Amino acid sequence: MSTLQLVVNGIVYSSVIVLGSIGLSLVYSIGNFANFAHGDTMAIGAFGALVVAIGVNDYLLGPEAVVSVSPTIAAALETTVFSLPIWFFVALLVGMAAAAILVVVTEFLVYRPLDTGSIELLITSIGVALAYRALLILGFGSDPQTYGVGRSGRIDWVSESLGVAITPRDVVTVAITAILVVGLHLLLQYTTLGRKMRATADNADLARVSGIRTGEIILAMWVIGAVLAAAGGVFLGLDTLIRPRMGFEMLLLIFSAVILGGIGSVYGAMLGGFTIGMAFEMTAALPFVGTQYNAAVAFIVMIVILLVRPTGILGDDTT
Amino acid sequence: MSESQSDGAGLTERLDRLRVEPGNLGVSILDLVAVGVFFLFFLMLVAVGVLSLNYGMYLLGLAGMYGFMIVGLNIQWGYAGLINFSVIAFWGIGAYAAALLTSPGSPHDLLLSPVIALVVAIVAAAIVAVLIGIPTLRLRADYLAIASLGFAEVIRLLFLNEREWTAGSRGISGAPELFEWLPVEPAVRLLSTTASVGTARNTVVILGLLFIGYVLVRRIHRSPWGRVIRTIRADEDLAKALGKNTYMMKMQAFVIGCVLMAVAGWFYMYAFEYLDPGELEPLQTFYVWVALILGGTGSDRGSIVGAVTIVAILEGTRFLNEIDLVVALFEAIPGIALNVSAVRLLLVGLLIILVIRFRPQGILPPKEELIWPGAAPDDSRSQERQATREQRGVDE
Repeated sequence: MSTLQLVVNGIVYSSVIVLGSIGLSLVYSIGNFANFAHGDTMAIGAFGALVVAIGVNDYLLGPEAVVSVSPTIAAALETTVFSLPIWFFVALLVGMAAAAILVVVTEFLVYRPLDTGSIELLITSIGVALAYRALLILGFGSDPQTYGVGRSGRIDWVSESLGVAITPRDVVTVAITAILVVGLHLLLQYTTLGRKMRATADNADLARVSGIRTGEIILAMWVIGAVLAAAGGVFLGLDTLIRPRMGFEMLLLIFSAVILGGIGSVYGAMLGGFTIGMAFEMTAALPFVGTQYNAAVAFIVMIVILLVRPTGILGDDTT
Repeated sequence: MSESQSDGAGLTERLDRLRVEPGNLGVSILDLVAVGVFFLFFLMLVAVGVLSLNYGMYLLGLAGMYGFMIVGLNIQWGYAGLINFSVIAFWGIGAYAAALLTSPGSPHDLLLSPVIALVVAIVAAAIVAVLIGIPTLRLRADYLAIASLGFAEVIRLLFLNEREWTAGSRGISGAPELFEWLPVEPAVRLLSTTASVGTARNTVVILGLLFIGYVLVRRIHRSPWGRVIRTIRADEDLAKALGKNTYMMKMQAFVIGCVLMAVAGWFYMYAFEYLDPGELEPLQTFYVWVALILGGTGSDRGSIVGAVTIVAILEGTRFLNEIDLVVALFEAIPGIALNVSAVRLLLVGLLIILVIRFRPQGILPPKEELIWPGAAPDDSRSQERQATREQRGVDE
């Protein structure tokens, strides 16, 4: 595979990791703990979208459809945007909503009643992660699944001019990621909510004294983190397969990204996510190291950062 | 040289110093009674026929193996506050040392003695622990948590993919008898004519090793080293101010804990005689965590109780699909299939959440074990939490 192709793959994979690591970084800076359930939140998003995909494919459109729909609606659902059917974008939104609802419920049921330090919260989040995954296995089984979106070929003019295979879904993944990341940037920098979030991340007590309802800020943090994570999960599911274990496998990568970028710094997380995603795909270009070790490369990057610059690239900045 | 030439009086004096009084073992009469009652109960279950002797001994051996891992994790998390999420990786290092060096199914065909494998397991685990500790132990506690979780995955990938060295997913089967010279056969024959002598010997070995390990751990727990390490957990800055090299102390605690985990893995190969990288699933690490926090963080006794509890949970849930009520319950919920491993996963997850919510100190609180005598008259935990909060406030 050409290096340029690896770069393209790296950008696509980076999108998924950036989306995951932003939420993790938000929880780190505002909620003050390492959230080990964040990877499984991504999986929840992927499976939330899967519900819509199953619904559309099995109950509305498939050969053995249970509900008969008029051909116009069927055609509307099948309309493709960048060779992805319209219903897939609905599924993406449903996945985001499912993850957001679940983390808010978790916040009220699990985290809010706890009066403990950050380490206890960390260990609790492991319990939450295992519970999420168990629910996914109970509901969907542990076999890999797909969204049933037909594979579309590469975009011809790109492969002819650059010799690089880019599929329309790659474009969609990167474009939506870019929109979400820019949206988050605008939210954090130019809205009252964003200023409140940054203030809470900086010093929660001071923020509370200034009249900021930090409880609400924490809810906003969960919702934003979950929505982005769910989008990452859906894109990962679209790119590979949807499995209950996918979230755990992402966890190591997004933690590496967050540590690389500097714990608690959202912009650092974006940068770190991009670097780790590239490193993950670039493993294929390394001599003597097989691609089965691409998760290990992320780990090595993390260890080196811990040795050389434990605060990460942007560690001294706050959100 | 002068010591070896010392006269008889000096020798008795030194022997006197070596003599361990029952109290100094760190095992009280009450502990012995509790263990005695447990074994009586166990024999009763066997006599009534609830458990077959073989299955019962297998369960005891399993509990002994978990006991090693939990005691090890207790040194790291309970004493020193180190979050190690790579319990299973160190277990795997021990297990693969046993499998590769001594098993007839090993790709290297070495057939060494299990004792050599034990030594290699301990040395390898210690070296790897130091390598993990160097980048992480100087930093905040959560860095070790993240790095160790990653390390566990890397170890799993290594054992899975380096097929020439580890046989990969094909696995390694077969193991020599452990300590064949141990005279357990007559004792087993007293109880039953059909019981497996091999299982009995393994159980005796692991419980014996666990007893030795437990006594040693109690020793170090009550030693000056143990006091300093508990101070580090409560307030690292205080320990530093007192001139303690906290990084070194944490490193020692981490290495000791990891070595105990490797011993558990070493034993596994002889008890189960089969090993593949599938055993290195990170979930196993969290079984040990649940056992520790159920038993009581920081409590040595609690670690042993936790070992029995986790074996009861793991083996108990295996029979879930034979209980009519559970099956009916799952059939009542549409869209959900009864999957024993998922139910176990859910149970472990909920247990972690519930224990931290309602009994953060665990089922058997360590009483005064964690508290500096006379220094903490009131609720020391709330002070610790206060300290955590201030720490976090300062960090930002």
